[in-house]
Amino acid sequence: MSFAELLRLALSRLRTSRMRAALTMLGVILGVASVVALVGVGQGTTSNITTSLAGLGTNLLTVSPSSQGGALTTSLTLDDAEAINELESVAGVAPELSTNATVMAGTEDTTTTILGTTSAYATVRAYEVWQGTFLTEVSVEQDLRVAVLGATVATDLGLGADDLGTEIKVAGLPFKVVGILQAKGGTGFQDPDDQIMVPLGTVQKYFVGGDSVRSIGVSVVDADQMDLADSEITALLTERHDLSATDTADFDVFNQTQLLEAASSISGTLTLLLGGIASISLVVGGIGIMNIMLVSVRERTREIGIRKAIGARGRDILLQFLVEALTLSLLGGLIGIVVGLAASGVIAQLAGWAFAFNPGTIVAAVLFSLVVGVVFGVWPARQAARLDPITALRYE
Amino acid sequence: MLPTEAFAQAPIIALDHVSRVYSMGHLEVPALNDVSLQVLPGEFVAIVGPSGSGKTTMMNILGCLDRPTAGAYHLAGTPVADLDDDGLAKLRSLTIGFVFQSYNLLPRTSALDNVATPLLYQGVSRKERAARATAALERLGLGDRMTHEPTELSGGQQQRVAVARALVTEPALILADEPTGNLDSHSGAEVLALLHELNAAGRTIVMITHDQEVADAATRQIHLRDGRILA
Repeated sequence: MSFAELLRLALSRLRTSRMRAALTMLGVILGVASVVALVGVGQGTTSNITTSLAGLGTNLLTVSPSSQGGALTTSLTLDDAEAINELESVAGVAPELSTNATVMAGTEDTTTTILGTTSAYATVRAYEVWQGTFLTEVSVEQDLRVAVLGATVATDLGLGADDLGTEIKVAGLPFKVVGILQAKGGTGFQDPDDQIMVPLGTVQKYFVGGDSVRSIGVSVVDADQMDLADSEITALLTERHDLSATDTADFDVFNQTQLLEAASSISGTLTLLLGGIASISLVVGGIGIMNIMLVSVRERTREIGIRKAIGARGRDILLQFLVEALTLSLLGGLIGIVVGLAASGVIAQLAGWAFAFNPGTIVAAVLFSLVVGVVFGVWPARQAARLDPITALRYE
Repeated sequence: MLPTEAFAQAPIIALDHVSRVYSMGHLEVPALNDVSLQVLPGEFVAIVGPSGSGKTTMMNILGCLDRPTAGAYHLAGTPVADLDDDGLAKLRSLTIGFVFQSYNLLPRTSALDNVATPLLYQGVSRKERAARATAALERLGLGDRMTHEPTELSGGQQQRVAVARALVTEPALILADEPTGNLDSHSGAEVLALLHELNAAGRTIVMITHDQEVADAATRQIHLRDGRILA
């Protein structure tokens, strides 16, 4: 018997028991759909992290005060930043000091991060200016009350391209808007566009006081020199802060890229885990198929006897039942793929990341449901094929 | 005798001292005991006997559904003892057309597909299957019932579909097991008349029955008692 004949037999059989076929397939549909959807979600998360990775700024190290000892130390200064800037392996530094404040423009207001920094910040942190300019060296030197708005803040305040030069009030003090940044996007962490940037000295003078900085962003010349830069900065700051080799450092050099790579690998593992858990439900779906096929073999014992009497060989019966199980699992698998893709599309939409269509997942899901069909279909089919025609014909 | 005549007279069925013993634990129950029988082409033979006489065992052995425990059975010249299950299936498919007491049509399957199914297992193409099944049904006056499923047909009609299914492969032998057992007397007479007609057209028929009246329709009767043929 050709495969087409077997398929025709299987389909006509499924047509005569639609409800049962649908319920049997439901197990596989749910299994495949959850594998496809969860793997899709996992991959969405991973690619989201990868995007954030690129948005962080290239070759970035962050120096921050050590959090050891509990209380937030204020060990870093602008001078530290300038000293780091002199290192061979360092391309630029951006000291940062931030506070939160309410910003008003006309009647609109929003609470956001006020970040004091220098003109190198845009380069180090990979921001692009959309309108106007970033903080100039002159404005930083003179601690002018000028501000560059992140895209989210500009939107919140209702400010656009025409509003350069507008005066805004930061915690009541007037600032002049000199630039608006392009949105950087990226979610999952803090929104990188929800902040305004002002000269470092201005924050120290009006909001925070003192001459320390919260952290120093360091752009390294080349990705290969990250470790070198790390050790050079550590050596430099150890010396500058008069620390002996046995002292606990009062600062940390922190490689964000590594952190995100770790996060990315964790989310990859998570994807695998989710897929693994979901495939358990696929196995359960397979057992459902086996169950129904066994019931079907029993119910159709007489039919099997008739078929054998009129010339069917054991192999013909085996293939008939196997193809029936395969049709159930494969049809369920295909429907499951559609449902799973739809679900991961909706989730991607809600989470706001790009919908990742992965042909590999589809191929894997199809193969997996085929395997389920064969594994769980073979045994009932063998039972059917081995029936003795005489007993089968007398079966009521 | 010319060679061709010798060939024409070669028996379709040749049972040579055939026994079939069932083992039930330590007990050995002989259902058929040293039976010899020859059926020649064109014969219409009735095998008659009460229940327990070994009819069913006889039917299973003649139909290649079972093998003798002793003796030799040649069907259309082929020694059955040498065949495995697949070989038996193939021999059944090519040589025998079955007609059962309870019709044994495939449920939820149209008359046409029922009649075409034996051809499916012979590897006949779909188109030819449909053509031959249609012809067989029309020949039995069921041309207007081809799309009907068994539950939509009367008993007599179902048995005629079963006869069409038995005929469609052009088998050397038609093996009918109590073909009138489930039918009213009118439909039963019709089926017997049909078998007669087929026999008149040259087909070899072996019919198994407990009913002497039915057996009288055949041209030759073999009486079974306690697993033996009565002389």
